[in-house]
Amino acid sequence: MSTAEDLPVLGAPVDRVDGPLKVTGQAPYPSDVDLPGQAHAALVQSTIAAGRITDLDTTEAEKAPGVLAVLTHHTVPRLPRGPMTSLGVSPPAPLQDDRIRHHGQHVALVVAESREQATAAARLVRVEYAPADPVLDFDDPRAVSVDDPWGLDSHRGDVDAGLASADVTVDAVYTTPDNTNNPLGLFSTLAAWEGERLTVYDATQWPAMVRETLAEVFGVPEVSVRVLSPFLGGGFGAGLRAWPHVILAVQAARDVGRPVKLVLTRPQMFTSVGHRPKGVQRVRLGATADATLVAIEHHSTSLLAVEDDDYEPFAAGSAVAYACPHVVTADRQVRANVPAPVSMRAPAHAQGNFALESAMDELACALDVDPLELRLRNHADVHPALGLPWSSNALRECYAVGAERFGWSRRPARPRSRRDGHWLVGQGMAGVSYPWYQAPSLARVTVTADGGATVASSGMDIGTGTYTVLTQLCAHLLGLPLEQVRSDLGDSDLPEAPQAGGSGLTSALGSAVADACERLLGALLELVRDDPESPLHGSDPEDVVAAGGGLRRRGDPGRGETYAAILARHGRPQLGADGASTPAQPTELGMALAGAFGAHFAEVRVDEDLGLVRVSRVTTVIDGGRILNEKTARSQVIGGVIGGIGMAVFEDTITDPTTGRIANATFGDYLVPVHADVPDLDVTFVGEPDRASALGVKGVGEVGLVGVAAAIANAVHHATGVRVRSLPITLDALL
Amino acid sequence: MRLNVTVNGERRQADDVWEGESLLYVLRERLGLPGSKNACEQGECGSCTVYLDDVPACSCLVAAGQAEGREVRTVEGLAEGEALDPVQQSFVDAGAVQCGFCTPGLVVAAHDLLDRVPDPSDEEIREALAGNLCRCTGYEKILDAVRTAAGAR
Repeated sequence: MSTAEDLPVLGAPVDRVDGPLKVTGQAPYPSDVDLPGQAHAALVQSTIAAGRITDLDTTEAEKAPGVLAVLTHHTVPRLPRGPMTSLGVSPPAPLQDDRIRHHGQHVALVVAESREQATAAARLVRVEYAPADPVLDFDDPRAVSVDDPWGLDSHRGDVDAGLASADVTVDAVYTTPDNTNNPLGLFSTLAAWEGERLTVYDATQWPAMVRETLAEVFGVPEVSVRVLSPFLGGGFGAGLRAWPHVILAVQAARDVGRPVKLVLTRPQMFTSVGHRPKGVQRVRLGATADATLVAIEHHSTSLLAVEDDDYEPFAAGSAVAYACPHVVTADRQVRANVPAPVSMRAPAHAQGNFALESAMDELACALDVDPLELRLRNHADVHPALGLPWSSNALRECYAVGAERFGWSRRPARPRSRRDGHWLVGQGMAGVSYPWYQAPSLARVTVTADGGATVASSGMDIGTGTYTVLTQLCAHLLGLPLEQVRSDLGDSDLPEAPQAGGSGLTSALGSAVADACERLLGALLELVRDDPESPLHGSDPEDVVAAGGGLRRRGDPGRGETYAAILARHGRPQLGADGASTPAQPTELGMALAGAFGAHFAEVRVDEDLGLVRVSRVTTVIDGGRILNEKTARSQVIGGVIGGIGMAVFEDTITDPTTGRIANATFGDYLVPVHADVPDLDVTFVGEPDRASALGVKGVGEVGLVGVAAAIANAVHHATGVRVRSLPITLDALL
Repeated sequence: MRLNVTVNGERRQADDVWEGESLLYVLRERLGLPGSKNACEQGECGSCTVYLDDVPACSCLVAAGQAEGREVRTVEGLAEGEALDPVQQSFVDAGAVQCGFCTPGLVVAAHDLLDRVPDPSDEEIREALAGNLCRCTGYEKILDAVRTAAGAR
């Protein structure tokens, strides 16, 4: 049999199914959940960046009103570090010794009857330190560096020979600062033990990983741990790890024998749940006079914590961005006394693309060719490293459609040649080749006696629209109206799905849901085929489709029955099926797995006297494969573009170079784009369903951000003639 | 102290309120109204925006005692029964919601804007909502939602 042949529900700009809950304030975020008898916790954090705790006096704090316990490295048992995950190591367990590794490290946790009491008592914890001189930047000779941390360094051809053969070369250094994820939702953990059973409401993008981690750290079976994250106030990568504060909340709940709730403060969000790490990148490009790339060399160094790891191969993407015979990419990390970095929306690629696409603009200027023409001439028609055809690639269409919509052909070639009063006007562009990513996933789909269906998965909806697209997908495949499908997500007791991250969840989990639907329809068909009372008795499976809330004869919708009728006649309250998806294997397919592609065209206005940069419009065209929901996907890309504008001209987490303290850890001091900064945005999707994905989906959660910073920097150069190679682009660079 | 406050048209009372508590804390922790969000606790993000006597305010910056005897309207009090307020409906229709954490504050701020300026220009919308931070949506669809709601009211 087959499912419905056309796609009436899939792809439709369906309203977000969780919208009404969210606009009425009813959606339960982790910090909104309360349990009877819960206590509240507050963190005490280190005020030095390196050294040792010499004395930690909790006497006054313990005597303060309402205080139930103060956890320190003297009280917390030796806990193992969490497990290796598919994204790398777990963070070190907290409060294990007297050593200070970064400013803002947790040194104590106060538990009290109320949050206010815990916060007040936290100020009474006296900590004496023996400070050491911290390592805070790349150039510190004491810093330990890690070469090629992920084995991704690449060599193709002979880059020195390539550069020697070039008519024109570019050699430039680009720097990007620390950025902080800063989801609006403060991260929160509510932990409750009942004997050896542990329930945790956590601000995580990956409930299954938190469950596995807590089971290992606290020495209980995974089945006795339940982690819930049905709603999350954003994450942008910050929710991809089981952070030390999560472990501490669980330990505190065990210590006081009551549920314990810990909500981070905004300043604590800067030091406790990761950030996009700062980096320095050197790019050398070589091209012949006809604008053919003959060499790409891209080296990066980024900053890492002293005892933790993070995946940030800035340069790796440059190996596959363009057709080029001679390529070297190499990444290095330097350990410093800074908080642990983490993936922040488009990790590594946000930074690496800024360097490469800025250098491409510099090369275009040096060659005196149009920046778009340079990219088209060096387009990677096949995967540059594997030599295989792409599973899908509409990058050329992204460029063509974007240029047309933006009006690129009317752009004057010379920098600083357009003005509007005292505003210098410039236009720049950048291309994006985002990597493919997918992890294995499970899902369950169940039809119930009322004739509706339920999708169940531990995967969660970070705000992207997972609830909505899974509901659409299931409704489509089972021939049900949207209103009769419900998705239950973000509960580690449900079939295991990967993280909401890496732009990979929709494809992984969606494919598992599709598999579950197919198995479920197979089971239903078996029931009716052998059932003389069914109007479909004896039907050839090829002649049956899922439609009208049940199974129907193809071409004869009057002949069939609803799921409710099938279940009722067979005395079953429900019938479910488990589905699975596994990532495609490129060698088996004979093609290179493609992620999303994109092109951004930006216009900026720079005040000639004051150096102010305003982004006035951005045209973005994305090849995301099949788009399951035009409305939610577009919103993802728009949000990504604004994130890119933040990276380009606002966001900068500033660490004091002597103390290691983050100097701007509030929303008042860490600038993010606001309504008044939003330019005219034009987002278009192009391309075909991807051949390597069961659903044809490529994922659009991150691609919209990548390339925006370069497009803006290139536009600033076009406006002013000034090349800014350091983000964010602030007025001081333009005066 | 005892706090008497009218919330969403209903007279409410909270006992043993500590003088240092914020109105946001009272709403969330004592009155069972977690719709208003805490995201910065210092008036920088707008997520906790409520009406205080018909004037929008960051409830994290209002001391609980300042609300004594006054009227508070939160995001939970905008809808009439099952029917969403036009502002709420337009946020759903326009796709102006992603993670949704900033949404309650934005809905109240947009509601207030349309009360004051029934047909705002784009510039007025941008300016009026510039104090409400959002990290997901890119704001573009929120602008659409406010335009749509202005037409619907």
